[in-house]
This record gives sequence, structure tokens and C-alpha cells, in this order.
Amino acid sequence: MSDSQYAHPEALVSTEWLAEHLNDPAIRIVESNEDILLYSTGHVPGAVHIDWRADLQDQTVRDYITPEAFAALCAKNGIARETTVVFYGDKSNWWSCYALWAFRLFGHDKVKIVDGGRDKWVAEGRPLTREVPSYTLTEYPVPAKRKDEEIRAFFEDTLKHSQEQKPLIDVRSPGEFKGDVTHMPEYPQEGVLRGGHVPGAKSFPWKRAVNDNATFKSADELRGIYEKEAGLSPDGDTVVYCRIGERSSHTWFVLTYLLGHSNVRNYDGSWTEWGNRVRAPIERS
Amino acid sequence: MSYPPKLAEIIELFEVLPDVEKREALISYADSAMRQGPREGETFDLEDVRKDEECTDTVGVYLKVNADNTSHYRITLGPHVQTLTKAMTSILCKGLDGISPQEVLDVEADFVPKIVGADLVRQRSQTVYYILTRMKSAAKVWLNRQRALQSGEAA
Repeated sequence: MSDSQYAHPEALVSTEWLAEHLNDPAIRIVESNEDILLYSTGHVPGAVHIDWRADLQDQTVRDYITPEAFAALCAKNGIARETTVVFYGDKSNWWSCYALWAFRLFGHDKVKIVDGGRDKWVAEGRPLTREVPSYTLTEYPVPAKRKDEEIRAFFEDTLKHSQEQKPLIDVRSPGEFKGDVTHMPEYPQEGVLRGGHVPGAKSFPWKRAVNDNATFKSADELRGIYEKEAGLSPDGDTVVYCRIGERSSHTWFVLTYLLGHSNVRNYDGSWTEWGNRVRAPIERS
Repeated sequence: MSYPPKLAEIIELFEVLPDVEKREALISYADSAMRQGPREGETFDLEDVRKDEECTDTVGVYLKVNADNTSHYRITLGPHVQTLTKAMTSILCKGLDGISPQEVLDVEADFVPKIVGADLVRQRSQTVYYILTRMKSAAKVWLNRQRALQSGEAA
């Protein structure tokens, strides 16, 4: 069971809960990973695979898929409008939070995250299968539009946010924030020309929100970090960013669902846009 | 560009495989990655085990060069290495087996998309090139040592 002190405890389920709902027709289990072949090596029985790049992003323009493509993606994975989509994945749920956030862009609000993600499921010795499930095609209605303005921030929004000194949270590692490095720890350089951070941003690395086993910290601990220490207000206007938007999706989930902040946007262009943009203001410290 | 014969064979096989079978073949290679480590009783000319900043886990490279200048690699991987990197480890251990250290250095990395498929080589899967870099690094160190030895003997 998740911590009932969370603002939306229903958005977070345990691995035990997942094990008990493997055959629940009202849910669809979705694995989303950074490791593109990981799902094929074995996954939670019944889980489908949704890839952050191939499935959720437009393959030409750096943007998300259209509402039509989203409806088709859901339909082929047996997801109906009323289906509760339960996400889990590798890397402490970075990409499952990213996929959940993308589903929210299209107004699919019945979503949950498996606390601890794939690593916890595997560590507990729970079953994995290589059998790819097949579900009956659904008729998912095409969303009227993608709700970018509600939970997504663009460069111009983030620049304005910075200029107006509104809450801006950089969830990258301290070295990236300071501008000492232009890559993530344990990752190769991903083509960023300048290091540093958006002026006025505060450094709160995503990892502060999780325990060693990738489960989320308690509501009290999270409030201490984000409300007391970072000074964020539940009804404030907050923008979070990282490098390409996946780690900040994780923090977006924490702020939105676990702490109940009502107006949090994810700047998915993040540092790979900002750090390459001509004349974008940069602060180093 | 010509590749070492064993690697060329693997590349040719992957190039004709449909995407689904290509993935299955990669998974199969990834499954055998943990069998690429040193075997009991083996000795090496060079051992390089380290955790680099740009890779998610420790990688050990073990190089043996025979009197006939043929080289053999063994590689160990930490558990957090990506599946694609595991697959490339098995492919490289097999594909580069028996060639000289200089030939290892000469292998160009442009074969990677031919095996993996362009859609899989993308942001967040670039560590697929890392194992080849480490193998080349070991070959270079070995060659430099040999050159130093030879110049010492000449002096």
C-alpha cells in the first residue's frame, strides 16, 4: 500500500498490488524503459511495452505524437478510455513517469505508477515472461487536443518564468547544474554546447525523492524537501526541467501526485534545448 | 570498408534480418554476455577493470595476445549495463576474436547501426559504442608496451 499521507495515494501502487492485479481487465500494465531491449528480456506478465521515443514522440519533429497517433497507440495496446494504465520501468521509474506524463498530455487521467518500478519487482523475485501479450483492439476516441498548456512548458514559458523569478526546479545532478559537466553522471555526452542552469533555478536532483530501492520517500520527507527546503507552494506555478524531460517527469509526478501541487509543468525541451540555444541566458555556480 | 571476417559474417547476418528477428538475435547475444568473462586458468597480457564516468557500471577488459599476434578478449560486465551493450559485448568478443591488436584498432565503429539498426542507436543508447572503445584502448596500450619494449631492445 502507498503512504496514505500522499495527496493522491491512489496514483501509486505497490508491487504486491500489481501482483494481485495481473489479470485485472480494468487495467493495462505498461513497461517504459530507458534500456530499449529490456522489455524483450522479460517483463511483468501481461505488460505491454511503450517506448518513449518510438511510440510517444514524433519521429521527425522534436515533439510528441498527435492525438490521432495517441489514440492508435492506445487502441493497439488494448487501452480504452476507461482503462487504468499502470506504468512501471527501469531507472527508478524515470521513463514510466515520462510515459504517464505523456498520457496526461492527452487527457488520459486514469494512471498509476508502481512504486519501486521494475527493479523492485525483479529484486523481489516476482515472475517475468518473454511472452508478448496480444489484446483486442480497442476503439480509443481521438482526444480533442494535446493539453500542452496545462502540464508542459516550452522554452519561452521557461524564459518568462526565469525572468519573473517564479519557482524553477533543476532536477539534474549537482555537476550538471553547476556547469562543471555537460553530461549526466554515467552517461556519454548528449550534444550540449554549454553547461550551467536556467537563471534563478534551484538544484533539487530527482534522486532526493527516492529511497535506495527506488521507492518514493514518505509524504513528510517529500514535503520537507520540496516545500520547506525548496520553498514550493502547493498552489504555486512551478516549472521543472532536466536534460530531455524524463528525470523532471519523475519530479513532476512527485509534486503533482504525491504532494498535490496543482500547477506544475515539465519543460521537456530541458537542457538539451536550453544549453544549445543561441543567446539563452545561463547561470553557473 | 572491410571488417574482420568473423565480424563481417555477423554484420551480413543482421543486415538481412527483419526487425523482429534482429531484436531476438540481439537478445540472444545479450543472454550470452555473461559467458564472455575469463575462464578458470586463463592468463592475460592486460587486464583493465574500471567504472568509467560515461558507463552505468563496471566493465572489465582482459586481453591475451599470442606469439602469432592473434588476440583474444574476455569481458566482464556489471549488472546495470544496458541490454544493447551486453549484446554488443558478445558480438565483439566473437567478431574480433583472432585478429591482431592493430586490426582491432583499425575497426571502424560504423558497423554498429548495421547490426543494431538505426532506430535502436539513439540518445540514451550510445553506450553501445563503449565496449569497442574499451577493447581498442586495451589494444593500444598493448601495442605501446610492445613498441616500448622493442625500442628498449634496440637501444
